[in-house]
Amino acid sequence: MAEKAILLDMEKCIACRACQVACKQWNELPGEKTTFFAAAGGYQNPIGLSPSTFTLVKFYEMEEQERIKWLFRVHRCMQCVDPACVKACPVTPKAMTHVKETGAIYVNRELCIGCGACREYCPFTIPVIDTEAGKSTKCTFCFDRMANGLEPACAKACPTDCLVFGDRDKILAMAHKAVDRLRKKGRRPAIYGEKELGTGTKKVLVLPEPLDYYPDVIKNPKVSEDLGLFHELLKPFGALTLTAALVGMVLGKVKEVKERKESLVSKTEEG
Amino acid sequence: MTNHWIDIKNADCIMIIGSNAAENHPISFRWVTKAMDNGAKLISVDPRFTRTSARADIYAPMRSGADIAFIDGIMNYVIENNLYNKDYLVDHTNASFLVDEGFAFDDGLFTGYDKAKRMYAKDTWRYQLDADGNPKKDPTLQDPRCVFQLLKNHLSRYTPEKVSSITGCPSELIVEVAKTYGATGAKDKSGTIMYAMGTTQHTVGTQNVRTYAMLQLLLGNVGVAGGGINALRGESNVQGSTDHAILFHILSGYLKTPRVEDQTLAQYLEHWTPKSNDPKSANWWQHTPKYMVSLLKAYWRDKAQKDNEFCYQYLPKLSANCDHIAMFEAMYDGVIKGLICMGQNPAVGGPNVLKEKKALESLDWLVAADLWETETAGFWAEPGADSNEIKTEVFMLPAAASMEKEGSITNSGRWMQWRYMAVHPPGDAKTDLWILDQICKELKKLYQSEGGAFPDPIVHLHWNYGEGREEPDVHLVAKEINGYDLTTGQLVPSFAGLKDDGTTSSGNWLYCASYTEKGNMAARRGLEDAPNKIGLYPGWAWCWPVNRRIIYNRASCDLQGNPYAPHKWVVKWTGPETKWAGDVPDGGWPPGDKYSFIMKPEGHARLFGFGLADGPFPEHYEPLEAPVKNAMSSQQLNPVIKIWTGEMDDVGTVDKFPIIATTYRVTEHWQAGQMTRNNPWLVELMPDMFVEMSKSLAQAKGVKNGDRVRVSTARGHIVAYAVVTNRFKPFRLNGRAYEQIGLPWHFGFKGLAKGDSANSLTPHVGDANTNIPEYKAFLCDVVKEVG
Repeated sequence: MAEKAILLDMEKCIACRACQVACKQWNELPGEKTTFFAAAGGYQNPIGLSPSTFTLVKFYEMEEQERIKWLFRVHRCMQCVDPACVKACPVTPKAMTHVKETGAIYVNRELCIGCGACREYCPFTIPVIDTEAGKSTKCTFCFDRMANGLEPACAKACPTDCLVFGDRDKILAMAHKAVDRLRKKGRRPAIYGEKELGTGTKKVLVLPEPLDYYPDVIKNPKVSEDLGLFHELLKPFGALTLTAALVGMVLGKVKEVKERKESLVSKTEEG
Repeated sequence: MTNHWIDIKNADCIMIIGSNAAENHPISFRWVTKAMDNGAKLISVDPRFTRTSARADIYAPMRSGADIAFIDGIMNYVIENNLYNKDYLVDHTNASFLVDEGFAFDDGLFTGYDKAKRMYAKDTWRYQLDADGNPKKDPTLQDPRCVFQLLKNHLSRYTPEKVSSITGCPSELIVEVAKTYGATGAKDKSGTIMYAMGTTQHTVGTQNVRTYAMLQLLLGNVGVAGGGINALRGESNVQGSTDHAILFHILSGYLKTPRVEDQTLAQYLEHWTPKSNDPKSANWWQHTPKYMVSLLKAYWRDKAQKDNEFCYQYLPKLSANCDHIAMFEAMYDGVIKGLICMGQNPAVGGPNVLKEKKALESLDWLVAADLWETETAGFWAEPGADSNEIKTEVFMLPAAASMEKEGSITNSGRWMQWRYMAVHPPGDAKTDLWILDQICKELKKLYQSEGGAFPDPIVHLHWNYGEGREEPDVHLVAKEINGYDLTTGQLVPSFAGLKDDGTTSSGNWLYCASYTEKGNMAARRGLEDAPNKIGLYPGWAWCWPVNRRIIYNRASCDLQGNPYAPHKWVVKWTGPETKWAGDVPDGGWPPGDKYSFIMKPEGHARLFGFGLADGPFPEHYEPLEAPVKNAMSSQQLNPVIKIWTGEMDDVGTVDKFPIIATTYRVTEHWQAGQMTRNNPWLVELMPDMFVEMSKSLAQAKGVKNGDRVRVSTARGHIVAYAVVTNRFKPFRLNGRAYEQIGLPWHFGFKGLAKGDSANSLTPHVGDANTNIPEYKAFLCDVVKEVG
């Protein structure tokens, strides 16, 4: 099997939320208690990703030269090609599992200690720690479906083929064709997930408008350089004695070091 | 639909009007997207910018209740700019037919109007006839009395400027829509019109649909791939329900319910069987006697014989309208004492829910069959209701859901698809079939033993869906619908085999050929497409009539049987041996033998549509509650609609209710909400009732996004969250700005997610031809809710 990917050709999205509900159904996640809508500009619910919500459709209402525009974006784990969350996961064996054949990255709940390092080092800040259960939660890329020759639940549910599952090289080719199609229609499309982080991500979004139109999308996602320091500081502690609290302390220490460095830099600049 | 869902992908241009297909028929967007991938343009016409509009190449804002003006304007542009398909008009429509000299139109009214009776005498709405009794024609379309010239004249008043002033749509946009859609008038191009309740739920709803049909005929878009007039039905099996005649005015297969003047079967058949003197007209409804007698045999079998008019006298004869509104008015007045409500929730679905709930209180008894105790079944316990004062005896019958029973449903594309039972119903829940079977058996027993005013129709009703079985055999029902040759006991292979001499039975002539000696056609799952590769899939399930996927399909060819659009041909004549290839031809006669629109006695599609109650040409009238005076004539309202003037039927005027209101549905919720407002995943998405309004209206009312607001009409008020959005903008009508708001109607007082019902606001008034309520255009006021 080759490395898999999902194309998200957002111009084809009708914001039906079939992907959102199919994901909940497959992962047996509950509906959250919500009120009204989570954000202006559309019907988004709930307010963000959570232990009960692994994928979320966002709405962007705007106007351009008196023409109304309504853009949609599906927000979830980008399933990076070179995942920082896996690198960050401090336990051995790693709870953040990276399946070699398909590239699927998912949380092994039996191993996970809920320390939050994955969230801390995710360039998109995706994983949400379920503090009650003490586990990290995020999109699993339906690794279990993939292992049985099925496509992810979201891609299966999508009625318009906005979401398409396939080998990553083919998905990238489709993304480029989508860009051609959109340019012909007078749009200014952007691909998000091809070159981001250098090696890209396995969720490849084709947005019909430039990134500026999606203010909550991280323009130049980067993996923090502190990852090395984090692991340095963890070394003295035996892998088997790690707890969420302990890792939390270490993350705090890393932050301290980083802030001291930054204040030194700015002092130097002032002086 | 004249076409079907998959066929949408074959269109060069798609106009979605009176529909929000992306939200309410999301799977249809699979096919819309495929069409767009092939270069098709999408036009969205809607008072509000919706998730459909978000995908469209052109969004045309149009205030609710102005559809006829809009499309009449498009047709005017098409005619003025010669975008119409002249050959198609001459060969397949009545454009060339000459109309009676006495027919005229003036100041909003056609000739023959009786103001006191609020109806038309149609004496002048007819063709001029030649010596053989056939319509006179002018194939050059020049004669001033020909339909084409009369239509051209009628439409000439709908200029872009006039239409803009009525609809609130900028005239440049109207022209852009007309140009883009009008381009499908080219012989090898096709356009499809997708519409739904935004079109039909008006006092002029039928004429709204007429404008689409006429536009499509002008452009040669009927009977072709990627064309047609395509109603997106509001429920998954409502097509089935209308086919099987759940409405009061029709019998199975769209036969007419007898009227009080049809005293005998002979009179009925004389009244309703059309005649034609033209040998080239197939005049398919000439077979009415075969279908009617076969239906009577299905009902009363051996009891129905020639000497007793096949039990024709067992059928009730209509003397008045018995539509939904009339029924609830009669309930309110204490005339109707009992109601069986199956899978329907009028306490939320309305219209005029406050009156309809009050009407339920007047009933002696109510039987509600549903998956949950709905707002209707539980009306007596609504917060605020005094159940001590309510004398209605309510029976709650738990019902099985669609995946908990076996049977068929018929989709918008007329495809009858068989479903198996996936899981057993929970607890005591029973299938509708079991419930009806039990009721019928019990009624028969009681009438047999106790007698009654007229027990015969029930006592002699042929009813055998499996003796000695608890659950009736749904296959026997399906076979009954198909019909039998009663001399052999074999299933009839098609309606061509039905007779009017009592030797055949058929529960629904349209469904003949759906269950034959070859088996259950609706259960087929063949994945191979037909040789023309346009997505017909003739081996998948079964559609009426006789598995013809695109009806009127001989109009996709010239009179020699050659397709106008060879790259997406539907049928083509291949010669006297191999005859027609492709889809089941709409009549297997060789090309040129018979006209193509076989269901009309004149064999031609009607641009001049004299069969309708409110006029042969579509004319703009304002909704019952309108913000403005009718700019086209002094006839403010549709001249033949019934105006209800009882209690709780108050009508609002623009001085007290200055804001236009409409209702709609969303992807996340379903109808009156029984199923979806009890599903936690869907409740998470849309937990609360809301109202969408423009930024300018919100500002004027001091309302912010998320505030609670009170929306009121002459009939009642509701409270909801305000969604303040740029997707509504005020409409400039005749120089003045008018605001419009929109309300989803899914909410009610029961369930996991509760909310006020939008139909507390809607009026008791219906369409001139179908009586479907005017849910889509009325007047309201909005204030910020205090406290």
